[in-house]
Amino acid sequence: MAVTVPILRQGSVLIASIQEDLCDSDILNLQSRILEDVIKCRAKAVIIDVSAIGVLDSFGTKTLTEIAYSVKMRGAETVIVGIQPDVALSMVLLGLTLRDIPTALDLDHGLALIGGS
Amino acid sequence: MRWFDLSESDRTQTRELSRIADDVSERIIEAFYAHLLSDQTAARHFRGADHIARVKQGQSRYFRELISADVDDSYIADRRRIGSIHERTGVTPTLYIGSYAYYLNKLALEVQQQMPEAPEKAFTLILSLFKIAHFDMALALETYVDAREETIKARERELSELPTPVLQLRPGLLLIPVVGTLDSYRARTLTVQLLEGIKEHRARAVVLDITGVAAVDSAVANHLIQSMAAARLMGAHSVLTGLSAEVAQSLVKVGVTGEALNTAGDLQRGIQLAENLLKG
Repeated sequence: MAVTVPILRQGSVLIASIQEDLCDSDILNLQSRILEDVIKCRAKAVIIDVSAIGVLDSFGTKTLTEIAYSVKMRGAETVIVGIQPDVALSMVLLGLTLRDIPTALDLDHGLALIGGS
Repeated sequence: MRWFDLSESDRTQTRELSRIADDVSERIIEAFYAHLLSDQTAARHFRGADHIARVKQGQSRYFRELISADVDDSYIADRRRIGSIHERTGVTPTLYIGSYAYYLNKLALEVQQQMPEAPEKAFTLILSLFKIAHFDMALALETYVDAREETIKARERELSELPTPVLQLRPGLLLIPVVGTLDSYRARTLTVQLLEGIKEHRARAVVLDITGVAAVDSAVANHLIQSMAAARLMGAHSVLTGLSAEVAQSLVKVGVTGEALNTAGDLQRGIQLAENLLKG
């Protein structure tokens, strides 16, 4: 079953909160909608909350990285928030380190990070 | 057993000795204990006449078995058991082998005296006896070594189970002092504690102090780097402090440069660095 991740708009920030494990096509769907909305909403930042995700595989990580880079090209910043301890550990063991992409503990810290920058 | 060239014929040969050995064993043991008790260090192992009598009995059984028991698994297990008792009670290898040599010498002399008509026969008998005796000694020494290794392992386990506390210096800033030996197992636990600590304290920076770590091999260095990468995934900056000269060198050898890690010379500067990172 396809899952559509809601993208909320909070001021000039877009928040996509992923609530369950996504299949590959769901992630691609999220990617295209975020890239649309960045321009449509004149967002200066996108926060992707992955705190409810138990597994981030290489495809998910790769797509998240792609989202972040392409959002940057469209003039906004991406912060990935809420990576859980065991997810972080297994990502690192797979060599997936989200290089150059800002991360934060949770939504709160993510918003603070954007506000500060 | 093959190594010692022990065969059934050796066994039959030593059994021929049993008549002589039984006759003289008491005498030898008595003489041996007189010899033993005259030695200060050795005498300390005994708690009194009762104890000595019991040990003497054990000894005569030991020698009887040496000469006539079947060399099978239960024999080996029993020898190992005796070896471990010796190890526990502090009988040193010198004392053990010395005692053995004393017994063998005396017995060999007896055999020689009692078989004047067939010196060659006596000689082969004694050779067989020496084989089994050496086999015995090897077993006992292995028990010694095993026991020592077991002790060392236990100590290492204790060290690796040293708790690594996660301390909150102030809201958002954690300090993890690491003391003792960092092996892969402990480094893994450390990573988990670090990540759980970040989540629990909502930390945005972590200072990892490894002043108390003597050596870091490449596997552990990798674990440290992975921990710090994982901490970053959770949105926390990490600072590594207290790298000794050896640790720094081993990190460079595995291809880690200071740029990949935030490092600081000592804890004070590490905390300052973390504060700066927090300010952004």
